[in-house]
Amino acid sequence: MNVKEARVLNGLGILMLSIAISQPLQAQTSQPSPNNQPASTSHEKTPPSDNLPDAPSGSKTTEPSLGDLGFPSAQTQSNPEEQARLDKRTHMLKIHQRMGLITTVPLLATLLTSLNAGGKNTSTTSRNVHTALGAVTADLYFTTAYFAIRAPRIPGTQTKGPIRLHKALAWIHGPGMILTPILGIMAYDQRNRGEKVHGLAAAHAPVAIITAGAFGAALLSVSLKF
Amino acid sequence: MNKKIVLLFLFVPLLMALPVFAADSQWVLEQSTLAYHVSHPLHQTEGMSHAARGKGVCHDGQCDFLIAVPVKSFDSGDSNRDLHMLQVTRGAQFPMVTVRTRLPETVASSATINADLEVQFAGQTADYKQVPFQLTTQGNETKISGTIPATLSDFKIDPPTLLTLPIKNEIPVRVEMTWRKQ
Repeated sequence: MNVKEARVLNGLGILMLSIAISQPLQAQTSQPSPNNQPASTSHEKTPPSDNLPDAPSGSKTTEPSLGDLGFPSAQTQSNPEEQARLDKRTHMLKIHQRMGLITTVPLLATLLTSLNAGGKNTSTTSRNVHTALGAVTADLYFTTAYFAIRAPRIPGTQTKGPIRLHKALAWIHGPGMILTPILGIMAYDQRNRGEKVHGLAAAHAPVAIITAGAFGAALLSVSLKF
Repeated sequence: MNKKIVLLFLFVPLLMALPVFAADSQWVLEQSTLAYHVSHPLHQTEGMSHAARGKGVCHDGQCDFLIAVPVKSFDSGDSNRDLHMLQVTRGAQFPMVTVRTRLPETVASSATINADLEVQFAGQTADYKQVPFQLTTQGNETKISGTIPATLSDFKIDPPTLLTLPIKNEIPVRVEMTWRKQ
């Protein structure tokens, strides 16, 4: 074999090698990805079990993967425990919301019957009706409060928006709902003894009005946008 | 003569192989605003996120784009509502929203495009065909804006209720993104 023949063979070798290299590479790039195939409008996906749900960075396909975007693993990882906590929280707050709405009915009825329970023209029956409605309101109120207080907290959540006012108002209507019945019982006893309502018991009506007002405002704060 | 034939055989396949070795262009998402809109008889709410990340890889005149955003990064200004949104969309179980699309590399010079989107959200995948977007290109930067006509039913999400009234099924997602070519 002379030098010329060797060069020709060398050239053919390069030729064969370049063809051999180009084919698989072109096959990879021209192959359509399964992700771009027509799919049904909606189909289910299993939760990501590891940090990188899609193909890892540096895979042979040209399509970018979630791993290429550089999200911290904590952000992309599925967290069933937190989902369960969120589900429980929502469930309890739904009950809280429903109970709160139900509580407004006896609350309004208690306020209406208070017109006949106090003042000069009053009767034992109207006072008893007012007391019974007040007791129902207090029971429903504390049941409502229980579901808000016991709802799981989500770590790392900063409270903002109308819920801040809703929570702040609880510091008014919460103590108010404890004080109002106590003062009411004192007023009820004084009235039954034929006395004029006096002392701390005289604060029953103002405390009740403030409490009901704060309760109503708390309800509206998460219902209406203002 | 033989030498010329050999050279011809040598260069033709090399030229054929050149596109394979040509450098792919890439796009990186620089800035983004994604905002979903929720309608309720008592409220009109918008939840916004600037936390999206995205990448586009171009090859053979086609670009594959992936945009992802954490579900919990959406902020409606009400932490209670955001946590409720996270719960109904199963955001802890499926923490990312991803959008995939494939576009011709030449669209960067267009004023509008219609993109076929594959959206993964809340454990479901929904396809949106021919979603219109407006493009503005300045140098290496391209700004894209448009609205994805998403609905709750596309992702099998039960409409949340407030005071027993459910929100509307339509939750259009406004998209504003700035991409940079690399």
